[in-house]
Amino acid sequence: MTSPFQVSGVSYFYNGLQALQDISLQIQPGERVALLGANGSGKSTLLRLLAGLSFPRQGSVSFFGEPLTEPRLREEEFFFAFRRRVGMVFQNPDVQLFNPSVFDEVAFGPLQLRWPPDRIRARVAELLEHLDIAALKDRPPYRLSGGEKKRVAIASVLALDPEILILDEPLAALDPLSQNKISELLVSWSDRSKTVIMATHDLDALEEIADRCVVLESGRIAGIGKPLEILHDVALLERARLLRPHRHAHRMPISASHPHVHAKDVEQS
Amino acid sequence: MHIPDGYLSPSTCASLYAAAAPFWYVALRRVRAALRTRAVPLLSVFAAFSFLIMMFNLPLPGGTTGHAVGMAIAAIVLGPSMAILAVSIALLIQALFFGDGGITAFGANCFNMAIVGSLTAFCVYRLLARKAPITSVRRLLAAGFAGYAAINLAALCAAIEFGIQPILFHDASGAPLYAPYPLGISIPAMMLGHLTFAGLAEFVVSAGVVGYLQRASPELLESSAPHNRPVQSLWPGLALLAALTPFGILAAGAAWGEWSIEEFPTQVPAGLARWSSLWAAPFAGYAPVFVHNPSLAYLLSAVLGIALIVLCVFLLKRLFAPTSRRRGFVEQTIHRLLRAIQDAFFAEDTARQPGFLQRLDPRVKLAGLGALLVSAIAVRKLSLLTALFLFCVLLAMASNISMRILATRVWLPVLAFTGAIALPALVLAPHGERSAAFLVLRAETAASFAFLVLLSTLWSRLLYALHFFRIPTLVVGVLAMTYRYIFLFLETARTMLEARQTRLVGPLAPAQQRRLAVSNVGVLLQKTLQLGGEVHIAMVARGFRGDLRLLDDPRLTGSGWLQVAALLTLSSLTIWVGR
Repeated sequence: MTSPFQVSGVSYFYNGLQALQDISLQIQPGERVALLGANGSGKSTLLRLLAGLSFPRQGSVSFFGEPLTEPRLREEEFFFAFRRRVGMVFQNPDVQLFNPSVFDEVAFGPLQLRWPPDRIRARVAELLEHLDIAALKDRPPYRLSGGEKKRVAIASVLALDPEILILDEPLAALDPLSQNKISELLVSWSDRSKTVIMATHDLDALEEIADRCVVLESGRIAGIGKPLEILHDVALLERARLLRPHRHAHRMPISASHPHVHAKDVEQS
Repeated sequence: MHIPDGYLSPSTCASLYAAAAPFWYVALRRVRAALRTRAVPLLSVFAAFSFLIMMFNLPLPGGTTGHAVGMAIAAIVLGPSMAILAVSIALLIQALFFGDGGITAFGANCFNMAIVGSLTAFCVYRLLARKAPITSVRRLLAAGFAGYAAINLAALCAAIEFGIQPILFHDASGAPLYAPYPLGISIPAMMLGHLTFAGLAEFVVSAGVVGYLQRASPELLESSAPHNRPVQSLWPGLALLAALTPFGILAAGAAWGEWSIEEFPTQVPAGLARWSSLWAAPFAGYAPVFVHNPSLAYLLSAVLGIALIVLCVFLLKRLFAPTSRRRGFVEQTIHRLLRAIQDAFFAEDTARQPGFLQRLDPRVKLAGLGALLVSAIAVRKLSLLTALFLFCVLLAMASNISMRILATRVWLPVLAFTGAIALPALVLAPHGERSAAFLVLRAETAASFAFLVLLSTLWSRLLYALHFFRIPTLVVGVLAMTYRYIFLFLETARTMLEARQTRLVGPLAPAQQRRLAVSNVGVLLQKTLQLGGEVHIAMVARGFRGDLRLLDDPRLTGSGWLQVAALLTLSSLTIWVGR
């Protein structure tokens, strides 16, 4: 099976500013990839290129061996096939939730892809049940909490049962409980051999949600590796502005749940 | 400026719907062709923005406050076609969900503000700005005058619509059935406020926002610069249509023969008789001679009438909003934003409660109560109007909607507004009591019916009901998104103002407040357009290709059709009996 995404030598400019510089990357089928990077490192831009929402002026992106270009996506057949197979969850749920109610939100994708109404109703009911948001069915988006919004946004993308899920900061600005729920959801969903690509700057949940990490720094790939390797590469994390030597007090015994770096150790290394 | 239900006759309303229709049609077609996919979210967020502008109360020289309508900004940034649609949709949401402006008068309001207003603003802006550089002061002033001209022309249209009502529509006794004042009173009364305060508010906001955009994102002003847009070939046709409309209204209201020269004089003496006797009473025998001169007397009664109307509106406004003057613009606007959110939430919660109306299919409600609303506008007997009003009360009681809610949210505000306008009719109009009663009762009944629909229906269901009545999918989709983003903007505007408030020390001078309001509107506009682009990308990511699709509700059941038939029969019966 060819790889879902092959990025070769991609550069991207925003109003003359370089957002991505010579990126090459291959995504394996069924892989869970985390894009790590500080704010403005180019994570979201890269995700948009993968989701076929913007297109590079230099380099190319291919989708299962086929070039992913603007003219290609204008063809109706390819457009619908691509949109069905690739789902994207945006960082800002207010951008993503544009429908009058939760039900309509989840039904939007299938409707645009011209599913028959009965199938849409069945699918929406099933998903709302599965994500534990059936009670919110008639709620308008402005009456949802942050965690609920995120779950609805994910449900709206899962409605088409995509093979590849692209998520921009799925855990940002959520309380710990909601973070937990979302990452559990992602893990259980991808167990069914799906590809997940997500941008994050959250190192805590990394091991749990990713098989491979790609570290971005000012639009360039600064490192690729397994979560544990990356987490222990302190120099890399610091360069990518994901970690900063700092001083703090230990009132409780140090937990081993995540790598713990001390300023003193860094100075020695 | 937002004409409520009950002020215009059904035929006037129908004519103005008909007059607006070709503009909507052309605008929709142009928007579809020009922007295709991006149009949906852009229109939606801009309509939400237009809605929001009307919530920004800004202090004006002379100590009063006013709010702008914002047609000029829409016309300058979006161009006339999009502006017509965006303002129309903002007006529709105000009429449907916030009770501002009538349902039957929606066509009239759109004609005045969305169509005449936007086109005037665009023409004036283009004429005055010519080829001046994007960031020139000339453009800023052009925008201000465009706003000023737009609101005043719109107000003039409304005044003419009001003014022809008493000429054309009165009951057997001669009492005006709708807006009671003739042109001689309605035009100066409307224009007095608009040439001064409302016009000034529009000038300040239009010029201020364009000034803000010149500094913050001049590229937004490029689209209306002359070189980018070909001369609109349809304009002569549209101008002709616009010129013909008043004739249409007249023709629809009365046969040409009936509307003869005699109509005018017969109107005047009736109201005048009261005035001359009023004058004559205290100074018996000294009654001024000019009262007996019809034309001078007409002038006198007109001037006194205008003064009375303005005074009544002013006094009642103060009476019903005693706190609004003491608070600064920031608090006032936050208060309004919060009220809008709370009202909408309250309506949603009521719609979820069990009750008679809540159980009805939204389509049945929309058709049935809509028909009853029309009959409340059409009947010419006070007894039937009262019966319709009582029917409203009955429906509310069956639907767990308390009288207190109806009184505070509908009856009192309508009484304050319409009462103020109707009060001078007691002395000015022929059969003043009757005509004042018609106006107030009609406005109350129509507003109650509209409010009942709103309070008993989840608005997402209401939208799909609109779809059922063959409103174009594009419009329903845009409407849905507009309403949704209004709430985002309300929240954004509130946090913005609150953040500002926490940093304020001491009260601001009016000029500073104005600058603050205008820059807030500017920031919101920028956010609006940015959001429009982002939402479009999010829609594309989920398979949107430009032709919006909506899920149709299941077919209406047999009992649903029966209910519709029953309500329609009731309404036509009322109209027939109340002829």
